[in-house]
Amino acid sequence: MIPLELYILLASAMFTIGLYGLVTQKNGVKLMMCIELLLNSANINLVAFSAYQPNVNGQVFALFSIALAAAEAGVGFAILIALYRLYGTIDLDNINAMRW
Amino acid sequence: MYADYAYLIVALPVLAFLLCLFLGWHLPRGGGFITVLATFGAFIVSLGIFSETYPHDIVHQSMSWFADFNVGILIDPLALVMLLMVSFVVTLIHIYGNGYMNGDPGAARYFAEAALFSASMLGLVYADNLLQLFIFWELVGLCSYLLIGFWYRKPSAAAAAKKAFLTTRVGDVLFLAGIILLYNNLASLNIVLKPGEYLLQFPVIYANLASIPGDQLTLIALGLLGGAVGKSGQFPLHVWLPDAMEGPTTVSAMIHAATMVTAGVYLVARMFPLFYAAPHGLTAVAAVGAFTALFAATMGLTAFDIKRVLAFSTVSQLGFMMAGLGVGAAVGAAAVGVSMFHLIGHSFFKALLFLCAGSVIHAVNTNDLREMGGVGKYMKWTMYTMLIGSLSLAGFPLFTGFFSKDEIIVIAYEYGTMINFLPYIFLVLAAILTAIYTFRMWFSVFTGKERSNYGKHESPWVMLGPLVILAVFAFGFGLAAQEDFYNYLDSNFEHYDVDFAHLAAIGGHEIESGHGAEAVEGEQAAAAEGENAEGAGEGKEAEGEPWYIQILPIIVAIGGILTAALFYWDKVKKFDPSQVTGDKDPLRRMLLKGYYQHEILTGWFAETLVYGTALICNMIDIKLVDGWLNWLSAWVMGFAGHVRKVQTGIVQNYVMALVLGVVVLVVVITLATEVGLV
Repeated sequence: MIPLELYILLASAMFTIGLYGLVTQKNGVKLMMCIELLLNSANINLVAFSAYQPNVNGQVFALFSIALAAAEAGVGFAILIALYRLYGTIDLDNINAMRW
Repeated sequence: MYADYAYLIVALPVLAFLLCLFLGWHLPRGGGFITVLATFGAFIVSLGIFSETYPHDIVHQSMSWFADFNVGILIDPLALVMLLMVSFVVTLIHIYGNGYMNGDPGAARYFAEAALFSASMLGLVYADNLLQLFIFWELVGLCSYLLIGFWYRKPSAAAAAKKAFLTTRVGDVLFLAGIILLYNNLASLNIVLKPGEYLLQFPVIYANLASIPGDQLTLIALGLLGGAVGKSGQFPLHVWLPDAMEGPTTVSAMIHAATMVTAGVYLVARMFPLFYAAPHGLTAVAAVGAFTALFAATMGLTAFDIKRVLAFSTVSQLGFMMAGLGVGAAVGAAAVGVSMFHLIGHSFFKALLFLCAGSVIHAVNTNDLREMGGVGKYMKWTMYTMLIGSLSLAGFPLFTGFFSKDEIIVIAYEYGTMINFLPYIFLVLAAILTAIYTFRMWFSVFTGKERSNYGKHESPWVMLGPLVILAVFAFGFGLAAQEDFYNYLDSNFEHYDVDFAHLAAIGGHEIESGHGAEAVEGEQAAAAEGENAEGAGEGKEAEGEPWYIQILPIIVAIGGILTAALFYWDKVKKFDPSQVTGDKDPLRRMLLKGYYQHEILTGWFAETLVYGTALICNMIDIKLVDGWLNWLSAWVMGFAGHVRKVQTGIVQNYVMALVLGVVVLVVVITLATEVGLV
């Protein structure tokens, strides 16, 4: 059996990559992808802990989390499409109408 | 039976108000017939109650409202004569209004407001407590504002409405202060109230007057007098009444002659025991009344607007009524009967005069006496009814005004023999002037040559009918009803627990010896018959005066009329007014300018003093009050302008802040755990 630490390491790596992308990227779609990375790193943790501590609660939570992520992605992409129609770009630096 | 329907007296006109307001547009003549029917219904109910209660009963219904207050109906002789007069006169005026307002685009609004006015005046009259009276009092003020400003597109009408509202407001504030003071005093007495009794009810007030300290009574009386002065157009709050003639003539007749302005006199009559008990209370009333009577009469002499002449005469006659109550210090509660008699008689002949003036104005299309002349040839009915009204106002023997005014002058004389002759002198002078200005007006309008080219036709019968009915009352009411009226009203305060002898002691009045003896007899009779007969011998008092005092009012009236004839009737004209007083005459100029009231009140007081003060206050407001606040908010704005740059609107910055925050938290918690703080 693969040790738990490896799962945690994988999750940490994914989380850090996601966070890095979130801070550095300007493109809306990339940001959405980074957020998915963050969520999925959490899901890996949930499932791993659930498997090592015989208890299905974590896996149930992971399912919820995936459903939520799907909904969030749907809303997020809808907003991005609307923004694209309005501005002709999804570069978030250019979308600043409400900024001071 | 009718007493069970007493609420209808107010409810019917209110219903008419609602109907005219919402449906009047769709009805012929703005639904004026609804208002007529409603006030006529109120008159019928009042008449029914009169026939049931006359002469010994009163109607008193009451229910709890909130806290110490109640709503209720109190119909005693004082209220009942007012109810009858108001509903009767107002009905006639509404009938007349159906002709007068015909074709006016706002007729529905007029009749709605007129109905609301009738309702509030009737409600004021039979309120059984001071608070309720005050509420209706304010409603009356509101209606007067609406009706004076009826032609609100005319700037002068809008200004007059505002002036009336604001001027009476001064009095109303004093009135309210008086009520609050009275309430506080009554509340501090810890009166044990029987079920169905409430603190501000008139019977409760009457019964507990004697327990209130004298100086407080004087303050309360002055507050209430302030209200009465405002509403009844007494000096110095009379300025609104002549201007109030901007409304339709029916409004002038209804509000500013017959009914609303009498509310102030009615208030003083209603609270007469309080004024009687208050030291100097009646002195103030007499002073205000007598001065106003003469003051307004002099201004009536020089006015050229027919309605303004009548307006000044109203102010003057209200002064008579006030003075009649004020000199009651000499004769006790009998003064209420005398004053109310003049009030009722006055409302008949003054409503008549105003409606006649309206009829003339309707035909000739001008208010200016200088442009009329010779109207009598074309308007016979108006001329003769107006002659009756004028004779009555001037106090010609056997007319209503003669009996009522004569009686006030006689008790003023009694007051003079006991206390001070000033009110008497003022009133007699005012009576002469009354006769002169009344007939100056009448001769100027109806006799002589036509001084301009005006419309020549008699008014329709819907207008003349009320004139004829009112003329009958203006002539015959005094002759027919004087004795009964006095007896009936003198019994008014016997229904309550009022001991005038005791109140006189508090107020520092001496009761006249003859009258006092009668009072003692009365009390003996009361012991025997179970009713108090104080003041029942009032009719005899007039016989105690010297003969020249008794016939003086007759001389005064006839002399005044003759004087006016010599100046203004072309057939016997001996003098030309312009020869007696030229344009340079300072007295004439002063009267024409109305004692420079406009210059003093508006020009000097309002525009210089108040406006100057307002400018200074404005500067302080802008520089100091607003100044530091503006400085503070400007500083906050500047500071916030820097601080808000933190909110960049860039998602990445927020994420960085979030991550850094988590890192810091983790470090802090770890360190704290290591050190052992947590």
